[in-house]
Amino acid sequence: MNSALLSITIALLFGIGTFLILRKDLIKIVIGLSILSHAVNMLIVSTGLFENGKVPIITGEHAEHSSGIVFTDDLANSVLAPVVPESAEMIYVDPLVQALVLTAIVISLATTAFILILAYRIYEEYGTTDISKLRRLWG
Amino acid sequence: MDSFNAIVLSIFLPFIAALLVPLVEKVIKQRVGWFSAAIAFISFILIGQVTHNVVEGHTIEQSITWLPSAGIEFGIYVDGLSMMIGFIASGIGVIIMSYSNGYMSHKEDLPRYYQYLLLFMGSMIGMIFSSNIVQLFIFWELTSITSFMLIGYWRSKPASIYGATKSLLLTAGGGLFMLAGFILLHSITGTFDIPTILHNPEIVQDLKAHPLFLATLILIVIGAASKSAQGPFYIWLPNAMEAPTPVSAFLHSATMVKAGIYLIARVHPIFSGTDAWFLLVGGIGIFTMLLAGFLAFRQTDIKAILAYSTISQLAYMMTMYGYTSYHEPGIGVAAATFHLLNHATFKACLFLVAGIVAHEAATRDIRKLGGLRKEMPITFIIASIAALAMAGVPPLNGFLSKEMFYETSLEMGHVLGGPFEFLIPAAAVMAGVFTFAYSIKLIDGIFLGKRHDDHLPEHIHEAPYTMLVPAAFLALLVIFIGISPSQAVHYIIEPTTAGILLEEVHLHVALWHGFTTSLMMTIATFLIGIAVYTKYDNIAAWQNRTNERYPWFSVNYVYDRIVNGAKYRAGSFAARAQPGPVKTYISAMLLLFVVLGAIPAFIVTATLIPDSMNFNVPAYEILILGMMIIAAVASAVLRKYLHAIIALSSVGYLVSLVFIYLKAPDLALTQILVETLTTIIFLLVIVKVPQTFREKISNTTLAKDLIIASAVSLIVLVLMLNATQGIVSPLESLSYYFVENSLPLAGGHNIVNVIIVDFRGYDTLGEISVLCLAALGAYNLISSRGDNQ
Repeated sequence: MNSALLSITIALLFGIGTFLILRKDLIKIVIGLSILSHAVNMLIVSTGLFENGKVPIITGEHAEHSSGIVFTDDLANSVLAPVVPESAEMIYVDPLVQALVLTAIVISLATTAFILILAYRIYEEYGTTDISKLRRLWG
Repeated sequence: MDSFNAIVLSIFLPFIAALLVPLVEKVIKQRVGWFSAAIAFISFILIGQVTHNVVEGHTIEQSITWLPSAGIEFGIYVDGLSMMIGFIASGIGVIIMSYSNGYMSHKEDLPRYYQYLLLFMGSMIGMIFSSNIVQLFIFWELTSITSFMLIGYWRSKPASIYGATKSLLLTAGGGLFMLAGFILLHSITGTFDIPTILHNPEIVQDLKAHPLFLATLILIVIGAASKSAQGPFYIWLPNAMEAPTPVSAFLHSATMVKAGIYLIARVHPIFSGTDAWFLLVGGIGIFTMLLAGFLAFRQTDIKAILAYSTISQLAYMMTMYGYTSYHEPGIGVAAATFHLLNHATFKACLFLVAGIVAHEAATRDIRKLGGLRKEMPITFIIASIAALAMAGVPPLNGFLSKEMFYETSLEMGHVLGGPFEFLIPAAAVMAGVFTFAYSIKLIDGIFLGKRHDDHLPEHIHEAPYTMLVPAAFLALLVIFIGISPSQAVHYIIEPTTAGILLEEVHLHVALWHGFTTSLMMTIATFLIGIAVYTKYDNIAAWQNRTNERYPWFSVNYVYDRIVNGAKYRAGSFAARAQPGPVKTYISAMLLLFVVLGAIPAFIVTATLIPDSMNFNVPAYEILILGMMIIAAVASAVLRKYLHAIIALSSVGYLVSLVFIYLKAPDLALTQILVETLTTIIFLLVIVKVPQTFREKISNTTLAKDLIIASAVSLIVLVLMLNATQGIVSPLESLSYYFVENSLPLAGGHNIVNVIIVDFRGYDTLGEISVLCLAALGAYNLISSRGDNQ
């Protein structure tokens, strides 16, 4: 379960990002998008978190078990869920959401870089970073 | 080759050939028309393969699986009816494509023209041999689309565009009604297969007793009527005359407009013998044949006269198919079928003549034409044969089917009794009179009378043989069927009628059959027709005056009002919904997000502060998150870009600290690397742009944006706090699988890494592609710079 403060922080980042993408200044819009993607990433990762969950890296020796391979962490008896039933005993935090966010971070780098260069080219072509002046880009 | 394969090949050969046309054109240039004609001829021969079977009274039903889950098959059903229309579609196709070689200028875009024609022919053949309703509908709509493309063949002419749009809106729109009718039919009968319905009398019985019977019938008749230009839908056909004349001859007189008639004939065994059928089909037919025949007087373009006459002649068939009674559901079927065949011959021939006249005399205006009999004697003879056949003059084929039409009307009148005993034959005679008058007008106006030297070119020649021979061939057919009808009746009309009535049929058609009432009606038609013809111009003038005085009293007026109104409304709506600034759209999307988020939150009575909430926040967390909030606010409010970006990258680095705290070490590492790169790119860009931008934010804008931002922020908070509290039901997570199999299957200890590179490797491939595309895009943006500077 997330702490209250983390939730509030993420929500605040959403608000700040939203406010920024409503601006006219292209650079500020890019900053807003960056903040929004930070917020989304943290939100997704935090949903996989639960108390006493371990970092999803398997450590320790493994031993043969009658039903196949089990681990010293005794995976066979545990369940793991992103949406956490309180009773279950969890070993690891959810690795899937982390894998998703790992991809998302890299993609947001790609898009941010592209938009920034686009902003730079728009400035070269039109002499402004004010999107309200770019009438040719209107819907 | 067995019959099934022959028919399937005859359907798909034109489609395949259409793809080959551009290649063939590269080799044989403008002779590509002969290639298309050859394809049509092969289709004709392939359909001919099945004739002996069908004439002996067999039908061919075979299908292959197509969409088994939906009960849809690709099936072929060949009976007399589909065979006849198949012959008309491919046979007239040969004639039209040969004729086009002379008609179409070599400067035109010939491959496109022949491609459309072949596509149309394939769709038409596919439609009539379909045993499955869904398959029939698909081919049906394909004919509408190819017709649209052919009408709009001359893309730059506004009249072509108008005509093409109108035909598409009306025929494809009517097709949608028909689709609804088909769906009802399927839900009542439980099958898409036409032969299954036809050959099971219990299904037909149940259908006729079903409460939705009338709705089904009306919907299907709307589809058929719109395709065949019947009732109020007739208005598209005159505008369709903007197509090249061979197209008008092919699609808009001989084949495509017969699709609706075909459908009526096809569902005849299912729906006929009821009052609703008689009133709907017969009623639309009588109304249309009189109206269109009458309105033909006003037309001055010979193709427009032919268009109205086509509407009226199609209405004859509609009327006859509609003439049914409980005792005898098929009173008019033989007559309608015979007229369908005859009309295809003489009307296509007349259109070809119209094309010849327009080609040589450079005008289609009947007021400017006249006296061409000396300069174009062969065309004159061909035109006279075809026009007299249409007028119903013996010994031509039109006379025979007109006689049958009169007999049918007498019979139907007799069945109904009362005033109808007189009214129904009278309506038939009136339609005959109009037909007679405009048929004579065509001959008289173009070939007889005085030559209008001031409107016509000095020398008019006879047309080239490529154009004359196809027309002459049709004219010979008109005479042949007229003088010796027994072959056509035995090989085509009897099987077709048997296919519609589902029983053996023997017909006796002869030129002379005694002094019957119908012969009297024919003589009366000619006498009244001549009388009306003497007043032809007066009637036309009266129609023109009426039209000027009451412009709203016309279907075209209503159509234009609706279409223009729709364009105007759509335009003004779009102008309001899409004013231009991107900000409006983003605000709208964000508000929608807020509303969509709020609905579940408040319906499921989310609690803002769940019980299990963790308020036990350690000091280091307060430090990290507090700094993050400060940095984020700073990046928003700082004016200088450099400062804002430094604040932004502090947010990013703090996020990587949070990832560590969230037990995601891989993310933390990646975040540090990515944040560093992002900061560098930001810095590279901002040294090139002005260091600051002062946006003047008015108080209202500020208030609005702050409201949107806080609403988004709040809804995210509510959703996030409640995500674990039952708004979102816990799903069976995929994560178990990855955790359990990471080591045994992939041999990796770091589960996240294993997911990225192994279990979900394709996702990573996609991610790399995004990076590549972004890099390529950025590179192109930068390198496009040189052009303007």
